Amino acid sequence: MIKLNPKLSQKFSYTLLCLAAIFAIVPVLLMVFIIIKNGASAISWEFLSSMPKDGMRGGGILPAIIGTLSIVSCAIIVTLPIGVCAAIYLNEYAKDNIFTRIIKLAIVNLAGVPSVVYGLFGLGIFVMFLKLGVSIIAGALTLSIMELPVIITTAKSALNSVPYYFREASLSLGVSRWQTIRYVVLPNAIPGILTGAILSIARISGETAPILFTAVAFYVPHLPHSIFDQVMALPYHLYIISTQIPNMPKDVIYGTALVLLMMVLTMSCVAIFARIYFRKRRKW
Amino acid sequence: MQKVLDLIIEKIIFICAIASIIFVILIFSFLFKEGLSFFKNYEVSKFIGGHFWYPSSDPASFGILSLIVGSVLVTLGACAIAVPIGIMTALFISEIVPKGARDVLKSLVELMAAIPSVVIGFVGMITLVPLVKSIFSLPTGLTAFSGSIMLAFMAIPTIVTISEDAIRSVPRHYKQGALALGATKWQTLRRIVLKAAMPGIIAAVMLGISRVIGETMAVMMITGNAAHIPHSIFEPVRTMTATIAAEMGETVRSGMHYKSLFAIGLVLFLITFLINFIADLFLGKNKNT
Amino acid sequence: MVDKIKIENLSCYYNKKSVLESLNLNIVKNEILSVIGPANSGKTTFLRTLNRMNDFDVTYSRKGNVYLDGDNIFDIDAESLRRRVGMLFAMPIPLPMSIYDNITYAPKRLDLITKKSELDSIVERSLKDASLWDEVKDRLDSSAMNMSGGQQQRLCIARVLAINPEVILFDEPCSGLDPISTAKVEELMIDLKEKYTIVLVTNNVKQASRVSYTTAFFLMGKLIEIDQTGKLFISPKEKETEDYITGRFG
Repeated sequence: MIKLNPKLSQKFSYTLLCLAAIFAIVPVLLMVFIIIKNGASAISWEFLSSMPKDGMRGGGILPAIIGTLSIVSCAIIVTLPIGVCAAIYLNEYAKDNIFTRIIKLAIVNLAGVPSVVYGLFGLGIFVMFLKLGVSIIAGALTLSIMELPVIITTAKSALNSVPYYFREASLSLGVSRWQTIRYVVLPNAIPGILTGAILSIARISGETAPILFTAVAFYVPHLPHSIFDQVMALPYHLYIISTQIPNMPKDVIYGTALVLLMMVLTMSCVAIFARIYFRKRRKW
Repeated sequence: MQKVLDLIIEKIIFICAIASIIFVILIFSFLFKEGLSFFKNYEVSKFIGGHFWYPSSDPASFGILSLIVGSVLVTLGACAIAVPIGIMTALFISEIVPKGARDVLKSLVELMAAIPSVVIGFVGMITLVPLVKSIFSLPTGLTAFSGSIMLAFMAIPTIVTISEDAIRSVPRHYKQGALALGATKWQTLRRIVLKAAMPGIIAAVMLGISRVIGETMAVMMITGNAAHIPHSIFEPVRTMTATIAAEMGETVRSGMHYKSLFAIGLVLFLITFLINFIADLFLGKNKNT
Repeated sequence: MVDKIKIENLSCYYNKKSVLESLNLNIVKNEILSVIGPANSGKTTFLRTLNRMNDFDVTYSRKGNVYLDGDNIFDIDAESLRRRVGMLFAMPIPLPMSIYDNITYAPKRLDLITKKSELDSIVERSLKDASLWDEVKDRLDSSAMNMSGGQQQRLCIARVLAINPEVILFDEPCSGLDPISTAKVEELMIDLKEKYTIVLVTNNVKQASRVSYTTAFFLMGKLIEIDQTGKLFISPKEKETEDYITGRFG
């Protein structure tokens, strides 16, 4: 084999790395571009605010938007307090023992369970066992368990970024541990916790498999009245109109994909910018 | 009064902390319960080793070998693409680009991770699938190959983010030592940094695999869903996840077919449990160095 | 001369390794006790034992007793002990909130004071006692993180004064400060001893000689010598003490 000049081999390798990065990122940008280009024409106020017509081939996607929003907001209401409390326990109270290690292992494993398995679990426990039926609440509870490890991990790192000496200063004044957490640690961790929560909301808005058997229906002719109703949801709606309905107008599919994509990306962007903003403003 | 209140809150916090353990146990026991009642009527060896998945014919056959092969094939294909590209991108972002561009690229990768899998599946279906069909002149473009490509884009963000963390946590003096000895930046990167970051990179790969093997919607839309053992990557396959998602709606609750899907879920759960456990071991190792 | 704190046979350990050995020591009320000694002599451990801040360290354990006005501090509730025995750290640690909120933080949490007029008077009194009032009275609502180091340390003193402690522990309070700020803090300590009992841990031998009534010299976890400051500095009884204060080691 020819021994390459080290300088030359460096140049070659850097080019290769750059190509890899291009290959990783550009196709995804292209995907987003394709959806925007083909979907933009379908977007109108009517599309966003009316019920589907002609077996989904016309009209709007309002029930799917409302459905997704209601499932996701219920899910975050359930998962955020539990996740933040668990993070507080792990970061502030937990001692380094077997019990803590088991909790951490459990969190790692929850994070790795495939989304469709969460769907099975939700079907088994919420829909069948607790007899909630296929409903917003059953889907939301399923998603909330799925999102719990993400919330715990981000909340924990937000708590961890508050320097230890603030806690010492408060404790040395005779303030109790919980009061120290409540009035010194939490206020300074809130920005981090919230950006994590927004990222989670974005992520679960796009999830389909966990709500497939727990919350969604092919078509519901009215908007949900309560959390015990079945609903339509954007990701599932996109799935059925792109695979199950023959002669579906392409622009409606693209339009639906665009709405879903924008919803998810906007929320993620907000979270990312908020994180940058708060990091810059941080005083310690 | 204040003391009592503090104590109650601390108890609540503790209960929330053990919630995760409870959920893992609940998930496992639910899958196990349904799976067990399935295995009472159907042998495990016939289930795992059986070639034929005919859940609704009479007599039904519940062999998931073709589904396992489908999942493994798609996963391997996705890894073959995502692992090298992911690691190289991580190196590029952490070591080559200037700091300002690095933050932008990292945010971009994070945004990529947020793209819903149905959207990826949909785009794959209308762009990649016809392309694969015409380039390789296949009867259908819905193949394991197309699935692998689209899934690679879902694994790349995970691999990039975690490897990048690992690469950047390599102590600075390792690099400076090598550079001081006259090694070029690339030699240092390849021989020192990459080696030191290896446990973290392996963990990143494991977590990427775990994401791909559990992925459902995109594979269901792109891989063709044919439950047979494929001869090459250019044939349609059906994965375990897609089987559960596609068939659960049609099953009779508490029937054999219903239970068999839980049994597949159990297999999936165990596989991902194992992968994540190994990844966690490597991540722990990375922190100690 | 009344003893405020009595320490009997106190030994402290980290991971079972001894860092302080059978210490016996009395601390006189309304005076300043300086604790001097080289690094790793157990000074800070000693200080953090007096208000039980070491309780949070899982590797820490101890034997022996400490009495505060006759009460064994290990029998009383740690939180009520800490408000009787306040503490200042080596680096000033203002909480990330306004100057006003820094002072009212503990009174609000501990005494549940919510009346604005009461809080105002606590803020004014504490800042005056910490001789910071004139410098900050017009910007009480601005963030404490924007003050100078010396001001921050005096704010921390004011924050401790706001809870009316009996004893104040200073853990090398001037190690991060410039000479002028140091002089201010030292002056303040001398003023404060009228009302409070003070224990000062310091690396700075001269500082101990300037402010304290009694000085104790620690070395390798042992109390080598304790005496009135003047006597200890002019005619130390032990060879190690002499070597340390004359700067032969440490």
